[in-house]
Amino acid sequence: MNKALSIKEPYPPGDFAIWIVIYIELVTFGLMFIGYAFSRRADVALFNNSQLQLNQTAGFIDTLILITSSYFIVKAVNSVKNARGAKIQSANNLASKWLLAAILLGLMFLVNKLLEFSAVFAQGFSLSTNTFFMFYLLLTMFHFMHVALGTVILFNIRQRTRTSGYSADDSRGIETGGVYWHLVDLLWIILFPLVYIIR
Amino acid sequence: MKRSVEGVWAVLIILTIFAYLLGELKLVNTLLVGILLITTFIKGHLVIDYFMGLKNVRWRYRIILTLWLIIVISSIALAYLLPTNIK
Repeated sequence: MNKALSIKEPYPPGDFAIWIVIYIELVTFGLMFIGYAFSRRADVALFNNSQLQLNQTAGFIDTLILITSSYFIVKAVNSVKNARGAKIQSANNLASKWLLAAILLGLMFLVNKLLEFSAVFAQGFSLSTNTFFMFYLLLTMFHFMHVALGTVILFNIRQRTRTSGYSADDSRGIETGGVYWHLVDLLWIILFPLVYIIR
Repeated sequence: MKRSVEGVWAVLIILTIFAYLLGELKLVNTLLVGILLITTFIKGHLVIDYFMGLKNVRWRYRIILTLWLIIVISSIALAYLLPTNIK
């Protein structure tokens, strides 16, 4: 194997501060996921029956949306990461288009989730209905807030691409926003089977 | 092995469809929960390696997320697979 190919980057992409945020978020959500799984053991029938009230298709669509938007973010970051000289403007234009697509998917996720929440509330379920709905609403609403924040971050990053603000020498901002969005995707990848599928 | 980001996206979508079908067809038993959690681990690790870009970063940064994934998924597996009193 070519030794040069195996050289690793010394630091992860983006600002180091975002990785501190990511580690904190992972611990927080991780404890909630484990808390859900072990709380279920106290009343499996209640969790299984309550889970039947959820719209699995909506959760499935949410997953497809987040995975695809994450892919769009990778394309946006890759567009500008190696852009130098005369290529900077066209690379930023391309990144701007990928980011717009990701933002639209983020908004689609938010709308889909709001529709899901309104359907759940219309059925009379709330945080105090039972332990399952307490966890379901807590997890999904907390995650919803992260998607909302992520969408705002992507919007701001896109504004900078419109002034050709990113290049090979300055791509840390777009990478920082990108890894935050991937975190939101990673969390949902566990949340979806845990809350919507496994019974 | 070098994977394209398109290939990673395709694997993530296929594994998500697999999870959805298990749920829709009510095919969730102990064995399939195990398989579902393994596919969830694979999906998570693909995001960590190829979307977050930690595949090409020093192991000390990558291992934190990998360990998190292992701890969370094995705890979920433990909670689901240990015998319990079903009411």
